[in-house]
Amino acid sequence: MIQVREVTKRYGAKTVVDHLSFTAQPGQVTGFLGPNGAGKSTTMRMIVGLDRPTSGDVLVNGKPYASSKAPLHEIGVLLEAKAVHPGRTAVSHLLAMARTHGIPRSRVDEVLALAGLSEVAHKRVGAFSLGMGQRLGIAAALLGDPAVVMLDEPVNGLDPEGVLWVRTLLSGLAAEGRTVMLSSHLMSEVSLIADHLVIVGRGKLLADTTVADFVTSEGVRVVTAAPDALRTVIAAPGVTVTSTGAEELFVTGTSAREIGLAAATRGIPLFELTPQNASLEEAFMDLTRDAVEYEAAR
Amino acid sequence: MKITAGGVVAAEWTKFSSLRSTWITTGISVLLLIAFGAIASASFSGDNLSAVDLALSGSIMAALAVGVLGALLGASEYTTGMIRATLAAVPRRTPVLWAKSLVAGLAAVVMMTAGAFAAFALGSAVLNNGVAEMALGDDGVLRVLFGAGLYLGLVAVLGVALGMLVRSSAGAIAILAGLLLIVPGLAALLPDAIADAITPYLPSNAGNAVMALTQSDGSLAPWTGLAVFAGYVILTLVAAAFRLKKSDA
Repeated sequence: MIQVREVTKRYGAKTVVDHLSFTAQPGQVTGFLGPNGAGKSTTMRMIVGLDRPTSGDVLVNGKPYASSKAPLHEIGVLLEAKAVHPGRTAVSHLLAMARTHGIPRSRVDEVLALAGLSEVAHKRVGAFSLGMGQRLGIAAALLGDPAVVMLDEPVNGLDPEGVLWVRTLLSGLAAEGRTVMLSSHLMSEVSLIADHLVIVGRGKLLADTTVADFVTSEGVRVVTAAPDALRTVIAAPGVTVTSTGAEELFVTGTSAREIGLAAATRGIPLFELTPQNASLEEAFMDLTRDAVEYEAAR
Repeated sequence: MKITAGGVVAAEWTKFSSLRSTWITTGISVLLLIAFGAIASASFSGDNLSAVDLALSGSIMAALAVGVLGALLGASEYTTGMIRATLAAVPRRTPVLWAKSLVAGLAAVVMMTAGAFAAFALGSAVLNNGVAEMALGDDGVLRVLFGAGLYLGLVAVLGVALGMLVRSSAGAIAILAGLLLIVPGLAALLPDAIADAITPYLPSNAGNAVMALTQSDGSLAPWTGLAVFAGYVILTLVAAAFRLKKSDA
């Protein structure tokens, strides 16, 4: 479990993380979302104690990370792919990390195989592609058989097969009861893996929700020969109807099913009846629009 | 599974020994020490330097090379971004600095002591006829050779500390070269009274005292000199530990 409690991080006058609180629960995949510059990476660095919060604190499995006797067993992290000495082989890199904790060589070979890197284990990391770097980073995160796995933008640079591998791997880890947290600036990518969403913008919490709750039905588009008759039929408290064309209506506050049934009982012909869901991506953009740090001029 | 001091040292040894650049730099250091010693031993015919002093003529170049080795080891953690993985694994942080210093220091002491003995052996074999031959058993020879190994080991530790302190390879190497090569020259520009008082205590002069067979006027005693140099190394280590502990990685 990761508990971020009222954490603020300032660099000089700039507040990068602003009174942020959330919890990533065991057995769940938590998606940590936000536009570039929203403070995601800074927050993840604070979780493992690389950056010190200006105020607030973070607990990993109920205690401050630095006090752990076996940190790699508490949490495995991928913060930046290829943040590895380019002259070192994949196996030496992992072995160096493993030795700090007395993790046996066999475990190094195991995670290399798991990440599909056995063939290139003795190649220097400098020659790795970004995707291979990500796989090595994920292998390193799993080295200590950790209770929490936290990955910053893990699918960046991965090919479709690699993306699928990460999804399956993370769902599997969560199913084993581990806490899984991954960050991304792409909603579409996270919505396929995550159960729980933490959305930030400019360092502030924008939403702490589930994927299911986040996508709300927006309304129903109706095309009919008798818009006025349909209006009166479906009128009810909480239902709003707007005219969007000669034969078109946009209805909110009720479902396509209700509208269809009401029209049928009165014999009103319908040409089109389409629920309009805001896509996750749109909902995410709407939510973060005001919080985008770097935006293209329009 | 638990984090241990021995484990952190083993990890640093793995990092140190798994880079080709480590072996190249170490090899160059030893080679410089032996080659310069052999050339000086063969060509020098004056009477103000002994055979063992001549054999260690390459010690300044070897010090630079071994210092660069340490600086690269310390600074590359930051230039490659590896430091985040390192400190995520060892969140108490300072053990990483101690382990890195220990590994670089011990490796350099072993290699450079061997290098000093090799330089003395080769230097004696090609020694110019104008210079008196010396044996290992002669007064001070063993002290000079072991002292050279210890001094060069400390230079490697100084490099590690500087690398971790300034977090940049170029910066650390520049400071190291400045301390060892340029500062003594600058001190000579000071008024004589001041220069005479501080010159023996400058890092490279203090360190060189242990490698000189006979002490010139105004130079520190051999082991005092080495202790003064060790003092500089400890100060730099403390500064590096402070920055490592206090600032964001």
